[in-house]
Amino acid sequence: MYLELTEEQRLIQETAREFAGAELEPLAARLDREDDREAFLGNLKKLAALGFMGLNVKDAYGGAEAGVVAFSVAMTEIARACAATAVTVSVNNMVCEVIQAVGSEAQKQAYIPRICSGEYAAGSFALTETGAGSDPSGMTTRAVADGDGFVLNGAKIFITSAPYAGVFVVWAVTDPEAPKGKGISCFLVEAGTPGLIIGKQEQKMGQHASATNEVLFDDCRIPGSALMGKLNDGFRIAVAELAGGRIGIGSLGLGVGLAAMDYATRYATERAQFGQRISNFQAIQWKIADSYTELEAARLLLMNAAFRKESGKPFAKEASMAKLYATEAANRACYNGLQMLGGYGYSQDFPVERYARDARITSIYEGTNEIQRVIIAREILRNFA
Amino acid sequence: MKILVCIKQVPDMESRFKANSQGVWFEETDLAFRMNEYDEYAVEQAVQLKEQLGDAPEVTVLSIGPDRVVEAIKKALAMGCDRGVHVQDPAAATRDPWQIASIIASHAGDKGYDLILTGMQSQDRGSAQVGVTVAEELGYACATTLVGFAFSDGTVTAKRELEGGIKGVVRLRTPALVTCQLGLNVPRYPTLPNIMKAKKKEIQTIAVAELLKEEPLATTVSFHPPARKGGGIVLEGDVGVLVDQLLGILKDKTAVLR
Ligand SMILES: Cc1cc2nc3c(=O)[nH]c(=O)nc-3n(C[C@H](O)[C@H](O)[C@H](O)COP(=O)(O)OP(=O)(O)OC[C@H]3O[C@@H](n4cnc5c(N)ncnc54)[C@H](O)[C@@H]3O)c2cc1C
Repeated sequence: MYLELTEEQRLIQETAREFAGAELEPLAARLDREDDREAFLGNLKKLAALGFMGLNVKDAYGGAEAGVVAFSVAMTEIARACAATAVTVSVNNMVCEVIQAVGSEAQKQAYIPRICSGEYAAGSFALTETGAGSDPSGMTTRAVADGDGFVLNGAKIFITSAPYAGVFVVWAVTDPEAPKGKGISCFLVEAGTPGLIIGKQEQKMGQHASATNEVLFDDCRIPGSALMGKLNDGFRIAVAELAGGRIGIGSLGLGVGLAAMDYATRYATERAQFGQRISNFQAIQWKIADSYTELEAARLLLMNAAFRKESGKPFAKEASMAKLYATEAANRACYNGLQMLGGYGYSQDFPVERYARDARITSIYEGTNEIQRVIIAREILRNFA
Repeated sequence: MKILVCIKQVPDMESRFKANSQGVWFEETDLAFRMNEYDEYAVEQAVQLKEQLGDAPEVTVLSIGPDRVVEAIKKALAMGCDRGVHVQDPAAATRDPWQIASIIASHAGDKGYDLILTGMQSQDRGSAQVGVTVAEELGYACATTLVGFAFSDGTVTAKRELEGGIKGVVRLRTPALVTCQLGLNVPRYPTLPNIMKAKKKEIQTIAVAELLKEEPLATTVSFHPPARKGGGIVLEGDVGVLVDQLLGILKDKTAVLR
């Protein structure tokens, strides 16, 4: 049993922390309040140049080959400063990894280096539909074989990074007669393809700088070479890749929770009421003790899931546990942190209300926490049945 | 061309320090360590020079200390240095600048480095003696507190920061040693691929006993962490009076109005 990061992992963590502190943190409050996509994309480009878009991607495709543990600690450091940037980085890494896992050599060469280098600001993962959220197998977007290609029709919703993504990983039904989940395929669709329409942008509670849009397909014709993996095998791909993404989202949640508690704890050692620092009050101390304990537990769950993935062991259950626990611990940490600031916690002059809004989505996207519990229970019950 | 960069790993200076059990230095447990800020300027300058000269120079990075300093060496390798030398010395923190300089000089003595770069000082000990002492021991030309650096035809042109914002420019023939100050350059972040590739670069480990032949000339006898900050001064009363009081305090106790 050895719980320390390697020297390389520590250097990556340090690089992420220093970059985030110097470049992301000073912009985060403004990007939350006003639209400045240029500044947001500028930071993504710098992160790409440093190698943050393909942490667990092979050198041959422009990745850092740094592994999943490094990915987790980097996500946490980025999210401490700016959750909207962090989710974009997390999805970009996931898109690179799904292409690396199931794409053809030509697809890998065509897209992964572009995301890793920052030539594409982002890649999008287009799974969810209005009628298919927690149950993506209920999707209705269709891909119909036509000559040597396919024609896509349908609509996706809540697609992170859609307005500035260079490539979309899109799931669509290719065999409507097949049993549930057996007739879905996965495609790579380039931005600018005629018939690919970026729809309405959501007005969200938090993570404002990260765009979340509808994506519509209106007789969108794609070549046969756009099919990724085997025909009708797409659903399995989505399920497998989301497990890895959950490590990213859990790590993001951890970063936001730590930011909230670090801010609130420092505040508590400075704020005086009743003639003493409020950190002298046991009610405040217990919030500090509880939240840091939970965040430390979250970190260890994440490290375990990341380490298992990196070692080639099964990790789906562990990733779900880590995502579930870390994102809920983060939400509680934000609640506690905001409470510790009193009225100032509710004011936009302090960052904790932003952390609370940014953390809220983490228990919903990349599989709601109810769905994580379904997965965890299924995995456990399998061994009892 | 051969370049040597000497770096030290220091604690994060934002940390809370407490004296160690002998009371002569700080307690290391619980501290996070990183590369001395001034040494980052030295590494960056060496790497920039390597780039300027079309990759020709070989840049060696050296650090003295316990095993944890390998992390700082790896950072320098990830930033672009070619090879590392770790002088393994668990007691490095207790050594005086003379001993540290002697270790470096005895390593460098027969290596024929054309240029040696160090930080102006370390953030923790702050003696600013190591660089100049190494130069003296090796008989190298030396310039300190660099805020500008140019190199051509074996000559270093160094812009130095003097007191009160004054600058001076000096020229040195190699072999030379320079110490680097804030403002010299903006150190690059090591890229993640380079952090991973630096694993393949050689780090030579040398036991300190092989290089250290000198007794200390100075001994640190006690260590004092800063006193906890006081509660500040609370001014009360009429606004007109308060303003005068505040002005008086700012004039007497701070440099704000000077
Ligand atoms: C900001 C943001 C970014 C997003 N980015 C992307 C993206 O890039 N790509 C993408 O494809 N999707 C994305 N999503 C979509 C996200 O993954 C879905 O919103 C999420 O999976 C939940 O689906 P839903 O919203 O349809 O909720 P529903 O599935 O309708 O769920 C409603 C409620 O019912 C619960 N529920 C549903 N089924 C069960 C069950 N079997 N047992 C117990 N409870 C259940 C849910 O947990 C939830 O509480 C994003 C969403 C947001 C808000």
